[in-house]
Formats: sequence, structure tokens, C-alpha cells
Amino acid sequence: MIKIENLEKVYKTEEIETTALNGINIHVKEGEFVSIMGPSGCGKSTLLNVMGLLDKPESGSYKFQETELLKLNDRERSNFRKRNMGFVFQNFNLIDELTVFENIELPLIYNKIAATERKKLVNEIIERMNIVNRSGHFPQQLSGGQQQRVAVARALVTKPKLVLADEPTGNLDSSHGNEVMELLCELNEQGTTIVMVTHSSHDASFSNRIINLKDGHVISEKVNKGRTEELI
Amino acid sequence: MFKLNLKIALRNLWKHKSYTFINVAGLTIGMASCILIFIFIRYHLSFDEQFANKDRIFRMVTYWKYTEGEEFQRGTPRPLPAAVRNDFSEVEQAGAIQGSGGILKIRDESGKEKIKTAEDVYYVEPQFFKIFDYKWLQGDPQQALSNPNTVALSEKMATRFFGDWRKAVGQTINFQNKTDLKVTGVFENVPENSSIPLKVVISYAGYTNPNLRKWGSVSSSSQCYVLLKAGTELVQMQAQLRAFAKKYNSDKEVGERKYFLQPLREIHHDERYGSGRGTMPMKQIWGLGIIGLFLLITACINFINLATAQAIGRSKEVGVRKVMGSLRSQLMVQFLTETLTITVFAVLLACAVTELALPGMASLFRGNVTFSLFAHPVIFVFLFGLVLLVSFLAGFYPALVISGFNPALAIKNKISSASSGGVGLRKALVIVQFSITVILIIATLVVLKQMNYMREKSLGFNPSAVALVDVPSDSLSLERYAGLKERVLKLPGVLHASFCSASPSSDSNNMDNFSFETSKERDFQVNTKQADEDYFKTFGLKIIAGKPLSKSDTLKEYVINETMLRKLNIPDPQQAIGKYLNISGDQKAQVVGVVKDFNNLNLREAISPIALSSSKIRSTTLAVKLQSGALMSTMPAIEKTWNDVFPEHVYGAVFMEDEIGRYYEGEQVMGTLFKVFAGTIIFISFIGLFGLISFIAAQRTREVAIRKVLGASNLELVHMLNGSFLAMVFVANLVACPLAYIFASKWLSGYTYRIELSIWPFLIAMLVSVVITLITVSVRSYQTALKNPVDALKYE
Repeated sequence: MIKIENLEKVYKTEEIETTALNGINIHVKEGEFVSIMGPSGCGKSTLLNVMGLLDKPESGSYKFQETELLKLNDRERSNFRKRNMGFVFQNFNLIDELTVFENIELPLIYNKIAATERKKLVNEIIERMNIVNRSGHFPQQLSGGQQQRVAVARALVTKPKLVLADEPTGNLDSSHGNEVMELLCELNEQGTTIVMVTHSSHDASFSNRIINLKDGHVISEKVNKGRTEELI
Repeated sequence: MFKLNLKIALRNLWKHKSYTFINVAGLTIGMASCILIFIFIRYHLSFDEQFANKDRIFRMVTYWKYTEGEEFQRGTPRPLPAAVRNDFSEVEQAGAIQGSGGILKIRDESGKEKIKTAEDVYYVEPQFFKIFDYKWLQGDPQQALSNPNTVALSEKMATRFFGDWRKAVGQTINFQNKTDLKVTGVFENVPENSSIPLKVVISYAGYTNPNLRKWGSVSSSSQCYVLLKAGTELVQMQAQLRAFAKKYNSDKEVGERKYFLQPLREIHHDERYGSGRGTMPMKQIWGLGIIGLFLLITACINFINLATAQAIGRSKEVGVRKVMGSLRSQLMVQFLTETLTITVFAVLLACAVTELALPGMASLFRGNVTFSLFAHPVIFVFLFGLVLLVSFLAGFYPALVISGFNPALAIKNKISSASSGGVGLRKALVIVQFSITVILIIATLVVLKQMNYMREKSLGFNPSAVALVDVPSDSLSLERYAGLKERVLKLPGVLHASFCSASPSSDSNNMDNFSFETSKERDFQVNTKQADEDYFKTFGLKIIAGKPLSKSDTLKEYVINETMLRKLNIPDPQQAIGKYLNISGDQKAQVVGVVKDFNNLNLREAISPIALSSSKIRSTTLAVKLQSGALMSTMPAIEKTWNDVFPEHVYGAVFMEDEIGRYYEGEQVMGTLFKVFAGTIIFISFIGLFGLISFIAAQRTREVAIRKVLGASNLELVHMLNGSFLAMVFVANLVACPLAYIFASKWLSGYTYRIELSIWPFLIAMLVSVVITLITVSVRSYQTALKNPVDALKYE
């Protein structure tokens, strides 16, 4: 589904240039759950931002189901993103001024879904995520685990082809963290492609494949046998 | 989407209540001031706009150029209207209007006197009504006013006199206890915003005056209006008027006399000629407009500063929205919606504030003006425009900044105050805001000081506790003058009394040509005043040579002033005594005294050359000097005595000091407006400042905590937080002072008698701005400095 080739990204300040991504080549198949790991500053988050069209690389190619995405202009990138991708962040990134229901509804509004249809979709996902009794609450009134559930619900409500997760358990205790990981696995089993950046090898163990980055290079790729076998 | 944006906007406003309050309060007050100023300006620009031919209507005015100085006169010689009709083919109509006043008496059917009242009246030629399309309810102006001794009334007057205006035509009104006038027409009430307040219009055919055929005598109450034919070239017409002036002017007149056509719509705004009922110069209208704009800009600056300062707090929301696919334009719309929400809310509050302030404003303008927020649809257009303008001014820049955040940085809260844009811009805006504030503080101080100076400057006579009582001047009344004066002088509390044509300082002045010693007319005119022998005592005028006027009912001798001596090049006052002065060619008498200069006009203007003489027949006023503590008790006694002496006339009196106060009504109004608006701008600026320092203090909480842990004292921390603000205020003062100096000198140059522009207003403004800034900023910084650093660091 995703073919990334020779991707390069350089951060420039007045005095120094930092190469965040240095000739990255990655392929992700449809239905795969891929973890990206590596030490701080290796380029994981940059890679995820580029994959999510939040950042532009200097060079390389990024094909999504044969569509070259790096040639798109800002408006086309926005449109592509909202139709095909969902995001889950470490710090949840819920809008404090909106209720749980309204937060989840937001991507549907940007996708110009009719109000009745929106209501139906949001209610479905709220039920699935087991947060029905929280739908009128504001983010500050929820626990971290609950907030991340809402964030996952928001990422999934548009039924995206690809979910990008940036350290989704980073701000959670282990029980809430496991809950979220199980949720992601469940989604993956239902066919959603997931790319996750993480520091935690425990979290990575939930995925099919682990890509290790260092200094902007892919240094290793490992198929997670346990998980693959489990799948078979 | 709009609903959701609105929801976010409202919740955000609620969450940051204190900033919302600052924004809304600033905008509300700024906009309310703008609305008030707009209502005021609209009223003054609407003067004389109601006539169909307004673009072709002009008032003829007279102008003299002397070797020294010039004179502007709204009146024209009485024979002029007929001559204009005769000499100019370009003139479609020309009509004379002669202002006057007198006693009107209405009797009931049995012949008993029903109403007796003193009213302003106008003698008007029928042609006047071809120029101005007043709506006539009954009668036809061309016939109604063609015969002598006919009168037309406004609807209100007709109703007042006869109960129902429909019954007025055919009735009789007695005028000045002499003439019976027949009512031949009723016209619609003339609106308040009209330079010619017609109420009682008498046929010009019945007007008599010894100067009716004299070109040499010009009175401001004799005016002429003309309607030019469509397509007339004004430049050409003015050239012809020069020839016209030459044709009719006396060869003896040394000063050069010109006639000009003054467009109707300039009458209300040209203070050189005046309108007889107060003018509002365009420069004052502009001044107010600029103050309005300043207020608006100041309020918008608060908004921009707080919005960009708050922007960092919104960065996560922006990031999330962008990740979800929001376009930059959608975000801009969202933030502009928020600004619009606040602005609409503020404009509604501003309307309420305006309604509350309108009575105050009406009383500031002495109730002559009725203001209403909802009477004129154009006000709604203005409000709509105001909302759009403010939303755009205040909302556009913050929306541009906030919507431009990089989503990858925004979602990780990595937007710094530097990248949120506008640290430099915020500083620049604060400097602009403070400069405006400082300019207004200086302007207010200068205006108030000049007003104070005018109030306290010695006028050269003593106006305190002098009552000016009107007296009738018909032959029957003249015979009773001596009796009246005798009885008034006997009243307890009365010190002196004098019959005169006008008080020393008066807005009704006669200027005449004259010759001194030789028969050749001089190249300047003299202001003539008639007074009896007690005039000097009554007003405390000082004789510096010779003696005051002696008792006489007719012209016997002259007393002249120092300015007259100077203009005649007579160095020693004694040299003037015994010389002959001939005014208007037929009033010749010896100069017997020289009076010390006194201000005969307002202090904007220089003192005129003056000649005082006795003439009982030209008296219009009995000036009564009272004991200062006895005003209240003596005035009713004077009124009673007066009514005993002139039972068929109507009593009227004013105090000299009130009359003088009236000359400076414009300045007083300006002074009050400056005080109010300067106060408002100071308030807006400083709540904005408070908001900004609160925000900055909150942002720097962590830095403050770290510094404190490292050993900084509270005072050092307050100093650190205040430093940049004090620097900004200082720069603002540097910018403001030269500008204020230019404005103030220009304004003061309009006054002949004015204060010297000292350094004090500038120092005071600087001190005020620095002290208020220091207080505002320190309160907030100190609170921040006092916080326990552990809390701040733990929180972070």
C-alpha cells in the first residue's frame, strides 16, 4: 500500500543542518501493523509526520496505492489526509473546548458528512470504544486512558485506510497502555493498516513488523514472528 | 461547521474570562465613543441639506480687506438683493432676509389680550421662498408675503397662538404694540438642523430702516440668499462680483470691500462668517473624527495584542484541526468568526452605552440638539460597517498568524512565542497605542489650560454681577427710561445702572466708516457703541485720558479706546482729546476721553478700534451692576419694576458672565469632549496593558521560578518583567511629544490671546503614562514574583 523510496529530510537552522531522514526506503502492505523504533532523534517522528503529510521531505518518493503524494499541493494534501488517514498522538491532542462527542465528530465535519450520518457514525464508534457514558464530557474530565480511547475513536471514525500512531501509550500507565494496544490490534485484525512509532519494545511486540531507525537510516527490519504466527 | 466554530469561540471566551472582559470592555467603550461621535458628526453634516436646490443656493457675504487686517461679515448692505436681481442674468432668484425681534400679541375674540411674547422674527422677501422649498401647509408664499403687514407662521407657532394651525390664516397678530399683522400662511416646522430657524416670517414689504438704501452700512442681520441658474460658472460669477462691488461702493471707503457667494452647505461650518446660531467648523468635525478613529485603533490594538499573545495557547487546537484536514482558509474563517462574535457582542453593548450617554451628550450641547440612536437608518449602516471594520482590523492579523502554524510543531506544543509571530509587532502596537494616549493627554491639558486662561484673563472690564436687561426702544418707551433707571437704582442690592446699545463685549457689533480730523475716510472701520454716562462705572472701565461721556440723550461727544489711538498713530492719549471724529459721514463730535482697552469680541479675536457715544434712541439694554451677594434677591425686584414700567412689553434678562461664557461654548464643549475621550483612551490602553502583562507574566512563570531558585529577589523579578514596558512607554513619549507639539501650536495659533506652550503638559503626560504603566504592570509582576517557584516547576 505504501512505497517510500530514498526519502530525505534535512532541518536547517542558521548555523547547522541536521539530516533527520537519510535515504529511507520502506514498504507497508495493506493490513499490516508496523512499528518504527529507535533512539531519540533518530527520525521516527519525522518519518511519521512525512507519512501523515504533516511535513515535506527534501527529496524521494512517497506512493500511496500508486499515487505519488509528494507532488500534491497543500490543499490536495489536506484533502488526501482527511479522506485516508487517522492519527493517534502521545498527548492525545483533543480539543479542550469540545466534548467527547464533538471531538470525534470533527473529522467527519471536515469530510463534509451530513449531520444525521455523522451522528450515527459517532455513536457507533463511541459504543465500540466503550465510552458511551462519557460522550458529553470535556477532555479534562477524563482519565488519560479514556482520553486516548477518544483520540483513537476520532482517528477511526472516518474509517481511514491508514492509522498513524505516535507513541500512543507514552502518557499512559501500563494497564491503560495495554488497553490501547489491544484496541489497536483489534482494529488491525479488522483490516486497518497501522504504522506506529514507539520507544517501547513491549508495545512493538503487538505489531507484525518492527523497523529500526538510527541517525535517519533504516538499520534493521524484523518480522514479529509470534504475532505473525498468532495471526495465521 | 459554523455552529461548531461558534461553540468553540464561545467556550474559549468563557474559559479566558478575564481576557474576554478586557477585549469586550475595550471594544465596547471604543465603539460606543465612535457611535456617539458619528451621531454628532452626522447631525452637523446634515445642516441645510433638506432643500431641493441646495447645490445652487448661496449666501452673499461681505468681506473687507484693510491695510491692517480683514473683516468677514455675513450681512450685506440692504439695497444689495435688488441690485443682484437687476445686475446678474446668472441669478435665478435673490431674496433678502432681515433678522429682527419684538413683542407679539394675540387677542381673543372679545379683544382681550391672550398671548404676549417676545420672539425672533424675520422680514423675508417672497423670492426667498423660491430659493428654499419650505413646505407650506396653508397659503402661497409668493402671494402671502407680497403685501406689507402680512405674516406667515410655522406650524408650531400657529398652533401655539391659535390652538390649531388650521385656524391661523386670516387672524391678526399685533407686533411691537404698533402694527397689526395679518396671518396669510402657515409652513411646516423648520428642522433643528437648519441655519435659518424661521418661526415668524413678516413680509419684507413692510420693513423700514433708515439704512434701507445705504450701501455703506452693513449689519449681520441683513442677509441675502441667491439661487444660481444651473450650470453657472462660479469662478466667472465671483469675477463679476468684483465689478459689482466697485460699482456700488462709495469712493470714500478706503478699505477694499468684496462680496462673495458662500455655498449653503458651508454656512454651518464657516466660523469666519458665522450663521447666527452657532457654527461647527469642519476642523473640529475632523478633529472629533480622528479622535474616534484613535479610540477604535486603541481598542483594536488591545484585541490584536491579546489575541496574538494567546495564540500559543491555541496552537494545539490549530494543529489538531490541520491534522484532521482543515485548510488554512477554514481556520482563518474560524478565527475571524470568533472576532466577529466578540465584535457583535461589543457593538450591542456599545449601543446600550450610547443610549445611556446620549442625555449627557445632549446636555453638553445645551439641549439644542436631540440625538437618537435609532432615528436615522444611516446609523445602522454605520454600525454594520463598524462591526466589519473592527472584526477585520482586530481579527485579521491574529487569524493570519494562528492559522499559519506548522501542524507538526503545533500538535507537540512546540510553537514558541517568537514563532507565534508578533513579539516585535506587539511592541510596535503598544508603542502606537501609548503614543496616541500621550498625544491625547497633552492635547487635553493644552485645551483645558487655554480655556482656563480665557476664563481668567482680564477682559479689561468687570463682567461679574452685571445683569443685562432688555429695554424696548419705541418712542413711548424711551420717555419712561429715566423713570425706570431711577426706580431700579433705588432697589436694594443695585450699585449702578446704564442704558447702552451693547455690553463692552458683545457678539452684536456695528462697524462703521469714519473720518478723524480731516474729511478723508480712514482705511479701517470703527466699532461703535452707544452708552450713557454711567456705562463706565457699571462695567468698571478705566478712563486713561480726558473724561467719560457726560449726560446726553443724543450724540454729543466720543470716548475712544487705546487701539483706536494706536491705529490713528497718536502716541499720547491727551493729543486725541478735543479732536473731531465723524462716523458714517453724519455723526460728528469731539473726542472727550480715552478708555483703556477692553475685549469687545471673544479672545480668539483682537480688540477693535472702538468709539463710544451717547444715543438714547439706540439703547437696547439696561445694564445693572449688582452687589455680588444680592443677585438672587434683586433680580425679581428688577423684573417687577420693569413690568410696572413697560406693562405692554415682555421682560428678558441675562447675566453678562453667562453671555461671555456663551462665546466659549465651542471651546467648553471641545474641552469636555477631550476630557471624556482622553479618559476613555487611557482606560482602554491600560486595561489592554494589564491584559498583556498578565499574559506575559503567565508565560514567564517558569522562567521566573527558575530565576528565583537561582537567587533572584522579588524586586529584581518585578524589575525584569517591567523593564520592557517602561522602555516602550518611553519610546511612545518620544514619538508623541513632537506630534502633540505640532498639533497644539497649530490649534493655539487660532487664538489671538493664548497661553505660551510650556514643557509642563509634556512632562505631565510623560509622568502620567509612566506612573500608570508602572502601577498596572507592577501589580501583576509582583503577584507572579511572589509565587512559590516549586509549584511552577512542578507544574511544568
